[in-house]
Amino acid sequence: MIKLTHISKSFGRHQVLKQIDLTVEKGEVVVILGPSGSGKTTLLRCVNYLEKPSDGEIAIGDYRLSCKHASKKDIHQLRQKSAMVFQQYNLFKHKTALENVMEGLVVVKKLPKEEAKTRSIALLEKVGLGSKLDAYPSQLSGGQQQRVGIARALALEPEVILFDEPTSALDPELVGEVLAVIRKIAKEGITMIVVTHEMGFARDVANHVVFMDGGVIVEEGPPAELFNHPKEERTKQFLKRITPELNYSI
Amino acid sequence: MGAPFDYTYIFSYFPKLLSTLGITLLIVAGSLLVGIIIGFLIALPRLYRIPVLNTLARVYVSFFRGTPILIQLFLFYYGLPEILKLVHIDISKAPVLVFVILTYGLHTGAFMSETIRASVTAVDRGQVEAAYAMGMKGHQAFTRIVLPQALAIAVPVFSNLVIALLKDTSLAFTLGVMEMTGKAETLGALTQHFVEAYISLALIYLVVSFTLEKLLLMAERRLLRHEQPDSTGNRRFRLQRKRGYRRLVAGIESGKGGAEA
Ligand SMILES: Nc1ncnc2c1ncn2[C@@H]1O[C@H](COP(=O)(O)OP(=O)(O)OP(=O)(O)O)[C@@H](O)[C@H]1O
Ligand SMILES: [Mg+2]
Repeated sequence: MIKLTHISKSFGRHQVLKQIDLTVEKGEVVVILGPSGSGKTTLLRCVNYLEKPSDGEIAIGDYRLSCKHASKKDIHQLRQKSAMVFQQYNLFKHKTALENVMEGLVVVKKLPKEEAKTRSIALLEKVGLGSKLDAYPSQLSGGQQQRVGIARALALEPEVILFDEPTSALDPELVGEVLAVIRKIAKEGITMIVVTHEMGFARDVANHVVFMDGGVIVEEGPPAELFNHPKEERTKQFLKRITPELNYSI
Repeated sequence: MGAPFDYTYIFSYFPKLLSTLGITLLIVAGSLLVGIIIGFLIALPRLYRIPVLNTLARVYVSFFRGTPILIQLFLFYYGLPEILKLVHIDISKAPVLVFVILTYGLHTGAFMSETIRASVTAVDRGQVEAAYAMGMKGHQAFTRIVLPQALAIAVPVFSNLVIALLKDTSLAFTLGVMEMTGKAETLGALTQHFVEAYISLALIYLVVSFTLEKLLLMAERRLLRHEQPDSTGNRRFRLQRKRGYRRLVAGIESGKGGAEA
């Protein structure tokens, strides 16, 4: 279980997150929606301390961390509880697909090389890249790179995987293959927090949808409820803009 | 000036000049070693923006980039012992070669630090974040992710620095070091066949430069093997990257040109 309590973040004088509270149950898929600049990325990056929250508390599994007094060691511990899939994939460019997936197992989890390799191959096969083990990122399509990114995250067996717009850098015809992989692992009960603009995906896969605007959570709930009967005006406006074919009573 | 031109001298000078190639290469190797260490020491405070050290590093780089290497040689050879005498350290008996390697090392270090800085900065930040996100520590992310890629980016510039250094070492003769240029001077003075000596000298420098360049190119290819794409779509990407490198190289080299004596 992940529990964020009163997470705040400012860049200089600009407060980007305002006392965010969010709970994610084990095995749940939470989708975060919201207009550009609403703080979705920042929130996700606070969970693994790529951004240092100004205040608040992060609990992942049995590990809790108070952001005001986090030491280097605490942060290092916290980061091992989660994994991240990036919009720009961020694969290690000098390493093959296999080496990318093995890296965390060998360096962070300290697994023997052979075991790391066996596990990594299995994961790459799972995301449909069994034939691309020795390809460098520059030899892979965007969709393939992102699937390596997902395998790399899975390898760490984290409590939660954080996805920041995993398909928005992809050509439209490659979005499907990546979403299919995310759906597949969602079904296996892996806890995830996903920032996305793919409404179809959010509807089908999410257990819980969060709508953010202006650094606060405006509204949250099960997808059927939030999409079909949004309560807040801002949510209605946003959904209307992003899915014009649906009619909301405003 | 001198005796009438006789090309046979060119050939007869080769072995004589080559006998001092060792000294030239020793200066190059020694200076590179000092230069790489200094380069890292100077680059780190700039990369991590450590307050006071950062400024000192910048002054250091400005000095070595902004003054002729010949002046630097004179300053260290004649000036350093004087300064150290004030604190009662006598280094006037140290071999000239020590001063020469020190000066070239410090000089190269200034350029090296800029190369290191530019190369490390060129490795995209996203990969470092990915490393942190998976739980790597700072030093692990640096040595496993940043350094190998930065090295690959740095090699073309590094290669230019080595060639520039090789040529710069020819100025060591002004302090009386018997490296190749010094030897050529002496041979010319002895026989009055100066031009032949210089031609012979130029040819040797050319061959050595060429060899070094080829060796470093091989190193670059090896370090960049992850950028050998197998489809045309990727080739476009690669050319862009290449152009990026060249711009990086050009930027650093425009600095280098200014500092050559
Ligand atoms: N490093 C930074 N320095 C200063 N301001 C930042 C920084 N990162 C984000 N911001 C600001 O924080 C706000 C929220 O940014 P964030 O990237 O979290 O939004 P987002 O919801 O992910 O938007 P998008 O949908 O465009 O990705 C924006 O106003 C942005 O300009
Ligand atoms: Mg974002």
